[in-house]
Amino acid sequence: MSILPLSRLKALAQDALAYLGTQPDISEAEVFVSANTNLTLRLNYTSRIPSNGVEEPKSVESYGLGLRVAFNSPEGVKTGFGSEPTDLNLEGVRRALDKARMGAVLDPDYVSLPHPTGRKPTLRRYHDPAIMRISNGKMLEVGWETVEKALEVFTSSEELLNAASSPQGVKDIGLILGGDVVMLQERIAIASTHMPKVQTDESTMLMAFVTGMLEDEHAKGTGWHVSSYLADYSGQPGRDAARSAIATMGGQRAGSGAYRVVLGPQAFTEILEWVLMPSLQLDVVYAGASTFMGKVGQRVASEELYLYDDGSMPGLAASRAITDEGVPTGRTDLIRDGVLVGFLSNYYEQQRMLRDPKGGEKLGVDPASIADAIAGRNGFRTGRGGGRNFDAMPSITPTNLVIEGKTPRTPDDVLRQVGDGIYIGRIWYTYPVNGIAAGDFSGTIVGDSYFIKDGRIAAPIKPNTLRMNENIHNVLNNILAVGSERTRTVRWSSDQVTWAPEVAVDDFHLDEIAGYMEDVY
Amino acid sequence: MSGTVDIEFLEKVRSQIGALVTEDARKLPSLRYCDVRMQVKEEKGAAAENGVEKMSAEDYTFDFGVRVIAGAKASAPGYYGRLLGNADVDNIAQVVMEGIKEAHQRAVANARMKVRARGRFGSLGDALYDTQLAPVSIVEDSVPATYEQDPREVSLEETVRMAVDSCRAAQGAGDQVVYSATSASTFLLRELFCSSEGSIIDQTFAQTEGFVIAICNSEYGTMEIYDFTGHQRGWEILTRGYDNGTITLPNFEVFCRNLAADGVEVANAPPLKAPEKECVVVTDPHFNTLLVHEVVGHPSELDRALKYETSYAGRSWFFRDMQDNQMGKQVASPLVTAYSDPTMEGFGSFKYDHDGTPARRAYHIRSGTFEEFLNNRQTAAILGVPPNGSARATEANLIPLIRMTNTVFEAGQQDPQSIIGEVEEGYYVSGHRVPSVAESRENFRITAVKVYEIKNGQLGQLYRDGGITSDSRDYFMSIDAVGSDFKMYPIPNCGKGQPMQAKRMSNGGPTMRGVAKLTGRG
Repeated sequence: MSILPLSRLKALAQDALAYLGTQPDISEAEVFVSANTNLTLRLNYTSRIPSNGVEEPKSVESYGLGLRVAFNSPEGVKTGFGSEPTDLNLEGVRRALDKARMGAVLDPDYVSLPHPTGRKPTLRRYHDPAIMRISNGKMLEVGWETVEKALEVFTSSEELLNAASSPQGVKDIGLILGGDVVMLQERIAIASTHMPKVQTDESTMLMAFVTGMLEDEHAKGTGWHVSSYLADYSGQPGRDAARSAIATMGGQRAGSGAYRVVLGPQAFTEILEWVLMPSLQLDVVYAGASTFMGKVGQRVASEELYLYDDGSMPGLAASRAITDEGVPTGRTDLIRDGVLVGFLSNYYEQQRMLRDPKGGEKLGVDPASIADAIAGRNGFRTGRGGGRNFDAMPSITPTNLVIEGKTPRTPDDVLRQVGDGIYIGRIWYTYPVNGIAAGDFSGTIVGDSYFIKDGRIAAPIKPNTLRMNENIHNVLNNILAVGSERTRTVRWSSDQVTWAPEVAVDDFHLDEIAGYMEDVY
Repeated sequence: MSGTVDIEFLEKVRSQIGALVTEDARKLPSLRYCDVRMQVKEEKGAAAENGVEKMSAEDYTFDFGVRVIAGAKASAPGYYGRLLGNADVDNIAQVVMEGIKEAHQRAVANARMKVRARGRFGSLGDALYDTQLAPVSIVEDSVPATYEQDPREVSLEETVRMAVDSCRAAQGAGDQVVYSATSASTFLLRELFCSSEGSIIDQTFAQTEGFVIAICNSEYGTMEIYDFTGHQRGWEILTRGYDNGTITLPNFEVFCRNLAADGVEVANAPPLKAPEKECVVVTDPHFNTLLVHEVVGHPSELDRALKYETSYAGRSWFFRDMQDNQMGKQVASPLVTAYSDPTMEGFGSFKYDHDGTPARRAYHIRSGTFEEFLNNRQTAAILGVPPNGSARATEANLIPLIRMTNTVFEAGQQDPQSIIGEVEEGYYVSGHRVPSVAESRENFRITAVKVYEIKNGQLGQLYRDGGITSDSRDYFMSIDAVGSDFKMYPIPNCGKGQPMQAKRMSNGGPTMRGVAKLTGRG
């Protein structure tokens, strides 16, 4: 079914704000109307187990309105949130208002709803009409062309044929192609007491993450793609995953020890998003749980590292014109030349930190002195694997995370910095095992990885044989080089995009695991 | 029929939806199977932070999802899901039929392209099979919820009081608690399942749960500690707690106070410096809750074993292919038995799964030997085994996945105190914290809340930031004692699928003893 037109969302936002203006007990109000569709194709091809190829062609559709309201009451200002699905008329507005009123509480940290920033959105008409209008037939084509690109590689590979001895034998190697292609259709309209002119935004996104395996060869490879446009996609992650899997045939074990490593874009992204980013959100700092408590202005990483979030950059897939709080997106520097300079925030958290008596202690500087570095540029209503959801309050969500190095480095330069070591292409289940503040993390290397000999890629590493046991501070401070080439990278069930380079790190601890599996299969 | 959506709405439309699926849907070209799941949830809850109210809400959710298997020369699946609201009440049949048609179009297109791929890729195309479901009995049944205090009768103010008072109880654990937050919620959920084979299953669940987090500071650094409580019951779970012998839940205020007190105690303990060599470890029921979840439950899910989750949640070391797998082989000490049982009381209890399959116990490991995977109708048909009722979705608009239910290590015979008492030198590992598990679950690192030294059968020094790591089979083969103190705990947030579904379930087990390497900082 087609997504609702923007004009209908806009009209309701306007009518709803006018209606809320007639309510005597309301001091501030915000209307957020949205329509979202998540189209997902889960892929599963297995050569020696019956499979569907495209396993789950599916969608989740939602639309409705959400209200954030501040009510005057004898006890003081109470704030509430109410939403209503599918009822895009004044009856729906009244229902949502009743819920907001019924649930309103006296939150001493509440300051106000967002005010205009004085900036204007820089992006216009950046969505893809082809994704907005995609048919069921075309949607299935997107999934099948991804599967078929992989099967084309598997059927034409000389390496596979040599390993199998016959075309029939290729099937018996245990070929796997799994993953998904996700397309997001998003439309929003927002208006509030402080920004009464209705603002609208339309965004689209296509994300694919695909894994190829040759199970008997213990080989695993990955392909992925992120874009705002359907025309950019031709199923290439299927081909890339299959090729990458074939390239890692004959993988060998590495022993436990401290290595010089290159973290590939996916590996660095996973560590960044699961281990580091929670500490760079202002709500985590408020709670005292960041690993960077009191560190603003201090060196927290190698001076080679520059990390920022930018939701306004044209052409980047996670860019949006406005946040789900109605303010223009923008750039927030987080770590510049190794120095901690800012945090991601929404409006509520920024205002709370500016008034927190312990704010200076938590940040390490007077919050007012870095008000712009903690501005609410990342208030999005995430959920359902992507989308801008009417029934969610704005939380802090990264957009395009960008990593840059101070010194320009080609991929060969990065490898040369390592000399002898390990290229870690893909990792998995990388969690802060002793909590966010401690910075300790563990995870396993699951594919796309190689030995590095004399500054060059050498033999592949056998997947699932090495566990990382490290600390984020060691990693950040032991950076040897940051590559200049960045790859747009996504992770499971998230619509944020990291523009990640290859990063060389010294003294990275790995432990050999699962030796018994050599005898099991 | 206009009005606010509540759980009674599904009673009113049950026959109508059943007829749509068994009559109208079956007229669609080449449709072989269809099911519709619809659910309504009435929920209320509140949250508090640092002892003050932060939010409260009372609302409903209403949604549906469709699965169609269709195709002429081949069969393939197609799905559709949508959130619904009051505006859909008067034309619900039309809305659902449009969803069925969308899913049907996708299934037909999927089948057509499957035929094309079969033709293009020779022997590799042969693996693209005709989607089939293992047979189940046709059922018409209604299952009521179990509760004492109806979630609908609880006032929103009461949920705010509960969140605030419990948060203050946590905050009151000491000055070292620098931050605390709680949430308390209760709901009734009604699920309707209608299949083109004729099943109409109407199940209602009551669920009540609480969450608390405390951040504690000490000279050794920040300690964040959090936990969940809850059960498939009414609001009484938070006001009074619950105890049936295996599920022991204090009331929420006490739960929060205890957690924060633990946080302060552990924050003040020195970090564990892990010995280089493996050592004897005694793990308590709460730690084994996460261990059985990650290292037995997940690799026992047949969708992982059949490679559906290769790209994300991972495969299973129990299964390479149809010929080469661990079924019937020893994977653990004979003392180890583990099973899933949705017919037991717990956070993962139900009578029918979201395939309409009756629930039953499935033994994964019996006396050390791997026996049975959790499955759904589709994967059971591939393996040629009967379905065991493990297909569940978090919401009707999402696709059921193979999920743990109440997945546990079975109790043993030994007194847990004697399991510690027999250890000359070792460590007692108590309470689970954060896991990191290898892709096919063949290796794990799981951190604990507390690690105590054991010397001459007595608990000694307490350490923070410790845990254990091991290769899975080696660890399970090393188990030499299993306690009689079986406990189950709620796990409210097990992530799987794309989009991610965070599912509720129970896990548990008794005290156990084995050999593993300890982990500390770094």
